[in-house]
Amino acid sequence: MLIDTNVNLGPWPFTPVPEYSGPALVAHLAQSGIRRALVSHFGAVFLPDPMPANRKLFAAVRRTPALLPVPILNPALPTWPEQLAECRAAADLRAVKILPNYHNYTLRAGHLTGFMAALAKAKLRLILNVRLEDERHKYFALRMTGVPVPQLAHFLGRFPSHHVLFTGIGMGEVEQLAKDHANFSAEISFCETTNTLEHLLPKLPARRIMLGTCTPLFSTRGEADKLRRAHLPARTKALIGTANARRFFKI
Amino acid sequence: MRIIDVHTHPVFSKRGRTPAELRRWIAHGRRFDIVHMIVLGDVLLFGPTPNAAQLRHINDDTARVARLFPDYFTAFCYLNPLLGERAVMREVERCVAQPGFRGIKLEIANNAAHPSMRHVAKAARTFHLPVLQHSWSVVNIKNSRHQSDPSTTALFARRNPDVQVIMAHLTGIGFRGVLEAKGLPNLYVDTSGGYPEEGLIEYAAEHLGADHVLYGSDLPIRENSATIGRILGARISAADKQRMLFGNTARLLKLNLN
Repeated sequence: MLIDTNVNLGPWPFTPVPEYSGPALVAHLAQSGIRRALVSHFGAVFLPDPMPANRKLFAAVRRTPALLPVPILNPALPTWPEQLAECRAAADLRAVKILPNYHNYTLRAGHLTGFMAALAKAKLRLILNVRLEDERHKYFALRMTGVPVPQLAHFLGRFPSHHVLFTGIGMGEVEQLAKDHANFSAEISFCETTNTLEHLLPKLPARRIMLGTCTPLFSTRGEADKLRRAHLPARTKALIGTANARRFFKI
Repeated sequence: MRIIDVHTHPVFSKRGRTPAELRRWIAHGRRFDIVHMIVLGDVLLFGPTPNAAQLRHINDDTARVARLFPDYFTAFCYLNPLLGERAVMREVERCVAQPGFRGIKLEIANNAAHPSMRHVAKAARTFHLPVLQHSWSVVNIKNSRHQSDPSTTALFARRNPDVQVIMAHLTGIGFRGVLEAKGLPNLYVDTSGGYPEEGLIEYAAEHLGADHVLYGSDLPIRENSATIGRILGARISAADKQRMLFGNTARLLKLNLN
């Protein structure tokens, strides 16, 4: 059984990706051996208010316990406390996700102090998305880059008691951050070279790596096979594929 | 399912330079059911525009790989079209005189619309070789002088309908690149390059025909499990997957791998 930590529902404006219903997404993931997934909604990426998309997310996964909703919040909005409260009332949350580059704030912003304190008080994990697309293939008019490594490093230093999951992070970025910071884990969809995990493991311990497929932007089978076909001990695969996410998100 | 990888660089920077390292690549490939690899050379070893001596160095490395393990590796001759007709013809003649060379590889010396590409077309015709052209959308990478946008690779194929052309990097050319390649019977795309973005395999099969799509990984830059998995997981028939992973390249390069 695999747990996927990086899945989205909803339409993506720039490429023709499948738009799954909750049950259809469960069936699709199961074809690649994935039985549980942490799911957000693309509608919260570009619209000024993430809540309509979060409400769609909660409705879509209500009858599919295999899909664990991860609402996207924007801490730069003054309304984030009430939006967080609404999300907590709507579902049994394990985590919330932020997208600093899409929501136009830096990780040095002052409002993050209160936001992180609120997550700690609510016992919620933070997923920080570094990127959703290969920058070389983005829509021509979209000025978007991944969240810069110095900002990620600053954030980790600023909140040392929080352990964060980075999704959409690249191999080189993991390597840079791992030298000085132990309070993050990495999801692997944007980490890729020949024998990805064999290269990643000397840089980051197996207990801090989690499977993520970036479905539906990436091929679910292709991403899941990076772990399933890796030349690694079964115990290491189990950590990356299931146990780490289970422990981190209390699944 | 047997697989041929049409886009590999087993010799890459400091890697793949000893028989032991090449044996490790073979073992690695076999673990993924890859029964044969096409070796394209360490193409950026001397930068984007190698001179004649540097090309010979790279192609000699490639020849050594094919000579050591002829059952597993087939070679492509790397060229810099800007060196002119005489240098291009001489280097291709030198390559094909050695066993295992069955194609021409182009990288980023110039884009595929450049006038010097006529020398490559002449060599391809003369020696009956397909041409694999590195291709990538220049919309964001902004280097149209050196990079071959899919529109320029398609133009090269259109100008030379008697030359078989492989437009490399399906993910790099994207959905627009597939449409640029559409309707050209002498143009193929390989599936290498970038992350396994969803839907491109199906889109290429729909618009180009599955018989015009060739599996490639870009080893050692990308991950074989992901590049193969994106085809195995695609919403196309098992027969089309088999064509992409094996049959199309075997036919195009006349490989007898029984």
